[in-house]
Amino acid sequence: MRKRWWKILCVLLLLYALAFGLNVFNIPWFDVPRTPILHETIRNLYYHVGMWFAMMILFIISAVHAVNYLRTSQLKYDIYSRQYALIGMIFGVLGYATGFIWASVTWADPNQPAGASFGAIAREPKLVGAGIALLIYAAYLVLRDSINDVDKKARISSVYNIFAFAFLFPSIWIIPRLLPSLHPGGEVAPGVRSDNPALDPKALSAHMRAVFYPAVAGWTLLGVWIATLKLRLRLIEQKTLIND
Amino acid sequence: MKKAFFALLFTIACTLVQAQGDRPEMADTFRSNGKIYVVFAVILTIFAGIILYLVRLDRKISRLEREPGLR
Amino acid sequence: MALEAPESRVWNGLFWVVQLFICINAVAKSFLQEAPGRMLYYHTLVSPLHFVLAKLLFNALLMLLMSALSYGLFALFLEHPVLRPAPFFGLVLLGGLSLSLVFTFLAAIAARAQQNAAIMAILGFPIIIPQLVLLMKISLSVFSATGVIPLAPILLLVVMDLLVILLAGILFPFLWKD
Repeated sequence: MRKRWWKILCVLLLLYALAFGLNVFNIPWFDVPRTPILHETIRNLYYHVGMWFAMMILFIISAVHAVNYLRTSQLKYDIYSRQYALIGMIFGVLGYATGFIWASVTWADPNQPAGASFGAIAREPKLVGAGIALLIYAAYLVLRDSINDVDKKARISSVYNIFAFAFLFPSIWIIPRLLPSLHPGGEVAPGVRSDNPALDPKALSAHMRAVFYPAVAGWTLLGVWIATLKLRLRLIEQKTLIND
Repeated sequence: MKKAFFALLFTIACTLVQAQGDRPEMADTFRSNGKIYVVFAVILTIFAGIILYLVRLDRKISRLEREPGLR
Repeated sequence: MALEAPESRVWNGLFWVVQLFICINAVAKSFLQEAPGRMLYYHTLVSPLHFVLAKLLFNALLMLLMSALSYGLFALFLEHPVLRPAPFFGLVLLGGLSLSLVFTFLAAIAARAQQNAAIMAILGFPIIIPQLVLLMKISLSVFSATGVIPLAPILLLVVMDLLVILLAGILFPFLWKD
């Protein structure tokens, strides 16, 4: 294992986020703000939102490698780009799933079974944006698999990766802000802020930040670790193919 | 796993809600009575399992990379 | 009356979805129906940058015409719930422009991948949904006589159009290289 320090760092950061995010040792400093509706579930911030941040960073890495491929035409960058996009998608799916679990106890109509109000929740602009992000990269994978020639596949899918990435930002970060939303950080109605502002990053307490940012770093490093394992395997496969 | 923990937290929160005070109820006794350690032990076990698996994979791939005949 | 006219929200949704499909079919023709040989011929004549700009321009004009035409047909055959036709017409043109630019570039990708229009739809839908949502949201405001037309989404649409033109100019030469 070359350069193992960041893998150790990843494990340490995640252990920190798990232990102090749940405040296992009952240290008052790690108590979370008392908010109605959310109660103790506000701690999900460290894990659920961490998934989205990790996804976004992995997609950025993927796009950067796509640019690298177009600049240098080295096939390894295309392999990097694909693996980072794939792991990013996995984190995105996890973010969506954890968000669904969380929303089903905080947003949903308490008089109905969890999941019954999924239709109403799924039309949330932020969820639509997240769904779009996943669909974009699913389309990227479909496009890759539809082309046989290796160089052509790499070039065309790199172009699509960059193009799609340029549209990812508006669909995740800008448009949900223009539409009314239940999600924290959005507006319930024009001019009226959401009533659970604790998850709005600006309203996040300093103590929560001290867990949140290390958690994001930890999840991102975990994603990078898995992606590097996959891409190293792909590189080995590529080399054996050439040698045979 | 997270979901199970969640459900646990939520049921505790629900029972506490019945004794409604004027400030939002939290799982206050969950930590002092030590039950949190049970949850954390489960989480740690799963986390350790995943990390050990990743480390083993990493070693294997490193060995493959060093294999002669690849270059 | 044999068929009931749709209410304004349905009319709005229907209109933009029809625009989307018009755009896919109109734009797909311009790229996917050209023989590979002709692309090669173009390649010897002009630089890729000029080629893609010409394509964007042509498809934009085509789509503007189509949008205007379909708005006329909608008004003729369905009811016309738009209370302020002038802003809506402007929005229709802007929407047509946005759709055509995005799909032109996607058609170029699909054509290089030697695929049919199906892959274009797969590539395009997730990218176009945000713009479509914005367009529907803005256009709902012209269905009432007093609704304020929001400026921010319109600006965002214009910025996204410029972004597409920029990206197409940068990325298309890579697509063309063989």
